[in-house]
Formats: sequence, C-alpha cells, structure tokens
Amino acid sequence: MSLAVTGFGIICAIGNDAQSVLRSLQEGRTGIGAMRYLQSSHKELPVGEVKLSNDEMKRMLGQDEKSIISRTVLMGAIAIRQALEHANLDLKGKRIALINGTTVGGMDITEHYFMQMKEDDALLPVLEKHDCGSSTREMADLAGLKDAEVCTISTACSSAVNAIILGSEMLKNNEADIIIAGGTEALSLFHLNGFNSLMILDKEQCRPFDKNRAGLNLGEGAAFVVLQKPENLTNEQNPLAYIRGYGNRCDAFHQTASSEDGEGAFLAMSEALKMSGLEPQDIQYINAHGTGTPNNDASESAAIRRVFGEKIPPVSSTKGFTGHTTSASGSIEAVICILSLLKDFVPANLGWKEQDEACIKPTTDNRQQTTENILCNSFGFGGNDSAVVISKNASPSNSSQKEQNLEVCTLGEAIVEDVEQLQELREFISPGEARRMGKLMKAATITSLKALQAAGIETPDAIITATAFGMLETSEKFMVDMLENGEETLSPTLFMQSTHNTLSSAIAIRTKCHGYNMTYSQGSDSLEWALRDARRLIETGKAKTVLVGFHDEATPTFQEFFRRMEKPIPSMLYSRSIVLGRRPAE
Amino acid sequence: MEQLINDLKLQIKEALNLEELSLEDFDENAPLFGEEGIGLDSIDILEIIVLLEKNYGIRLANPKEGKAIFQSVKTIAEYVQANRKK
Repeated sequence: MSLAVTGFGIICAIGNDAQSVLRSLQEGRTGIGAMRYLQSSHKELPVGEVKLSNDEMKRMLGQDEKSIISRTVLMGAIAIRQALEHANLDLKGKRIALINGTTVGGMDITEHYFMQMKEDDALLPVLEKHDCGSSTREMADLAGLKDAEVCTISTACSSAVNAIILGSEMLKNNEADIIIAGGTEALSLFHLNGFNSLMILDKEQCRPFDKNRAGLNLGEGAAFVVLQKPENLTNEQNPLAYIRGYGNRCDAFHQTASSEDGEGAFLAMSEALKMSGLEPQDIQYINAHGTGTPNNDASESAAIRRVFGEKIPPVSSTKGFTGHTTSASGSIEAVICILSLLKDFVPANLGWKEQDEACIKPTTDNRQQTTENILCNSFGFGGNDSAVVISKNASPSNSSQKEQNLEVCTLGEAIVEDVEQLQELREFISPGEARRMGKLMKAATITSLKALQAAGIETPDAIITATAFGMLETSEKFMVDMLENGEETLSPTLFMQSTHNTLSSAIAIRTKCHGYNMTYSQGSDSLEWALRDARRLIETGKAKTVLVGFHDEATPTFQEFFRRMEKPIPSMLYSRSIVLGRRPAE
Repeated sequence: MEQLINDLKLQIKEALNLEELSLEDFDENAPLFGEEGIGLDSIDILEIIVLLEKNYGIRLANPKEGKAIFQSVKTIAEYVQANRKK
C-alpha cells in the first residue's frame, strides 16, 4: 500500500516556505554562508542557517518575544502549520498523530541558560523543555494539534525519514487517520562543536562526492509531510505524491563511520525498492545523503553501485544548498524530492568539480527531466540507515495485513538499576572495549546481552530503544566543558556518545544486527512507543525477535535541578532490556 | 626527551582511559594503531590531537597530516619537541 502525501511544509537555509525553496533550487542558489544567528566563536565555519531570528519566528507564531522557546520548536511549528494548511484537512473526529524526528531538541536553550540555572530557580523550567519529547509536545500545541498523539524519533541524522516510516506503518496498521511526520533541528553550539571535534566540518562550502571534499557544513531547518491513506482523502484534497516504499537498516559497523561497502545503506535502499515493487531502473533520481565527508560519500557511492550496477540514475546531494540539517535532513530532502516530482526537475549537486574514483558522479546542473520515482537516502551516526521511495503514482495494492492468531511474548529480560551492577560488564567485554563507555552505555550493554542470553539468541532481528533523556552524563560533561573552557579542545569521545541512538547502534554493532533499528524519545511514553513498534514488527511478520531496551540515567546536577523544582527526582541509572518474540507453537 | 615521553604516556593513558595498560608495559616504540601495537583507532587520534593542543599548544587541522606523527609515543614526542608552543 502507498500512502498519499496531501501537504507539506518546509523551512531551511534556502527558504522559509516551499515556494522559496523551489526557487532557490531551480536558480542554483545556496543558503550556506557566514554565521549570523548562532553565537559561536567558530566564525570560520560556514553554516546553513534559517534566515530568521528567534523573535521573528515567535512573532510569526503569535508568541510573546519574551517567552523561552527553543529554535528547534519554532522552526518545527512553522513547518507543521504550513503542512496542515497545504493539506486542506478536516481534522474533526480524526485520529491524528504528530511524529517528529529530532536529536538536539531544546539543547539551544539549555546551553544558553545552563550556567544561570545553577543559581536562578526561575530559569529551572527551561530544563523541562530540554528533552526531545517535550519539544514535540510544544510544537503540537503551537501548531494547533493539542489533541494529537505525539511521538519523537531520535536516530541522529536519519530521524526525520524514520518518522515518515513510523507514520506510514501506523496508517497501514490503522492506528491513525492523519499523520504529520517529519523532523526539525536548530543549530546549537553543542553539536557544532561536537562535529568540529570529530574534524568533519569543511571550512569552505561543502563539496559532496568531489575528489577534494573535506567535510560537511551544518545547517538547520524543519520539514513535515501530511500522510493519509489514499482512500480517505476528501474531495477537496489532492494527492501530491506517494510514499511507496521504505527501508530502515543498520550498518552495525562503527559509531561515527560508515562501512567501506555501505552495507547498511545497501540494505535500506534494497528494502525500500522491494516494498515499492519497483526495479532499480524505475528510479529517475536519487537524492543522496551525500554529506561531503570523505567517508560518507565513498561508502554511499559503494552502496549505490551495489544496488544500481552500471545504470545509475541522476544522483545529487542537496546539502550544498541547505547544509546538513542533521535530524531534519530526511524530511527536508523528502520535500525537495516531492518538489522535484511536482515540477519534473532534478536539483544540482552544488560544489562538485572533480571526479573521485571512489564516488559516483553526481549531476551538477539543475535539469528539467521527467521524474516518476525518486529514492531519498538518509543515514545517521551509528549506521542508522534509512531510505524512502517517493512516487507520482501509488503502487498496486499489497496491503500488509497482520497475521492472525499470533501472540507476542517475552523471551528474555534483564534489569540494571544500580551502578554497582556495572561490574558485571567484565563477563561480556574486555576493559579495553569498555574504556569509552559512560555508565548508561555500560548498563544497556549488560541488560541487552543478558536478555538475549536468556532468550537464547545471539542476533535479534531488530533493536528498539526507548530513552527519555538519552546520554545525559556524556552530554553534560561535553556541554559543561564547552561552557566553562570555551569552544576549543573538546572531546570527540564525549560527543560521539551524546546522541540518543548511541545505545541502539552500539548494541547492533556488538550483536552484528543489520536489521531494523529505532530509538524513541518521548518522555515517559518512550517505552510504550517502543513496545508498540516491536509488537507491530512481530505481528506483521517483519521480525521474529526484537530486542527492546528502556534506558535512562541522571547526573548529580540534573538530580539537583529536579530537587529544586520539587519534582520527582529521576534515578541515577535504570536499564531494562526485553527480548520479544512469537509465542512458540504448542 | 625521556621526561616528555613519560608525560605523554601518562596523558595518553588518562585521555583514552587505558586502565589495563600499565606505564611499564607502555613501550614508546610500539605502534599505537593496528592489531600488533596498542590497538588505538581513529577516534583516539582525535583525542590525542586535543591533548596536544591543550598541553603543548600544537594545532593539527587535519587528522591525515598526523599519520607520520602518530606512529608511536616516540614519534609524537619528537614532533612535540620540535613544534611545542608551551
């Protein structure tokens, strides 16, 4: 079954709405340039900023300029409002869900107020806007979706495509009538400095797939699509495009690098094509992830060659226009693909000059060309690789019915609630392997491996993680070092362990699991979303065994903040892993 | 030079959290990367680059430049000796 896209909204470096984004793409105008809004000392780094101040965005949303709202939320709410208006929806009596992909969440306001929060009680509520889940809730409220179900996906740079994938699955399984799915991510000092510590930021305009490419430029923005079952459209609504296939797979190779043969990307693209019922030659354009780092572009090229052989359709990375908008990149590029379908053009790969043997040759001019089916790639840290096929026409119906009489049961389980228990890690891995791990990573590794052991399984078919706050310990260390000692000499080890999907992907690497890999971060609802996903995977026959982990931690500072707010104090460490599977036949 | 080598060993051990590696076993001529040596990887190179900037004021803009420098603690020490700003 294909899902109809009935509306979309977008805000990024090349425009504050779809019309202006389209114009920039067709005129070959980049949005990357000198830093204007982000208050960083790294002025040498070009960025793809949204050309609006926070105050301007607050005014657009009718909010008081004095109110503290993260830039992530502001951009997200603007894009959602555009999408809702575009879709011409009748929301009455409908089950609506907002699925948002983000990793930064409220980090921009947290890093701005953190030092003051240590002294000033009045600023403590900023903390309640820090986590990804609360960002999504606030966006729903600002966009007039107070009654909608909300969910946040956090798989680093593939978050927004995974949000579209989850939304599509929910529609197919009749869990919602209307899905608004996409992602949003504002630039923050935190991740600008994190990427900088990994030495993968180009000081010049990025050059995806070029022989002399030297890294990525960070960007920011938000984009959302409205998805509905084709049969549920009203007479006033038009299908603009269809989500025809998708794949979510894991490279299971390295925390920050992609494998040489692009295994995860290859599997994700193959799965997306298979679901769409299309052959590689049916694809007229590939919107590549193409970040501009030496590693990503070579690995992605290898994967594209494996899928398409000698006959590679036009490929471009549009990150030379927008910058790498990280968690939002998947939906920003999905909307660019929809514009490409609607206007029959292929956007250029800006910045490319010289052929690299290790890379595909991208299309460098903006060309008018009929497009029927487009493949859009989106990859993240830890090898969270996803791809989606977007088409002018729906596929012939092949609805994924749930299998009947199938019972899901627990095959194994393990819990760690105490720092003392972390000594058990030695039973599973050497101190050398554990040397970079923070306490939550250690706990998650122990419970995952113990639960799998109890279930008698080495490699699960899928791994799903639920975490409300993610990697607090390493994130706080990195942020405090940055705030106290400035934006130089920061630790890459701390940053690479700061994204929420670190846990899921590290466990995938350890268990060699290339299957479905997902991370939910929706406050106290995270576990329920993860379990719901696991049951859906098993009931639709997509997985026989799923490792579900629920992992959260606190730090002394974090606990102190909650104590001062007179709120329940989060525990220092909690990790619970469950292996779910089909109940064996009697 | 010997003092610098010992300082570097200590700083590397601490920055990379190499708990199980005793300073006596930390041979300054042993290759830092690859299976036969200490077994460090690309993230460790980045941490060592941070360490050199923090402690010796040496800035390396590109990890690839460092390939010759990061062969062993000895080669790092020689580079630091010649290029240190503090």
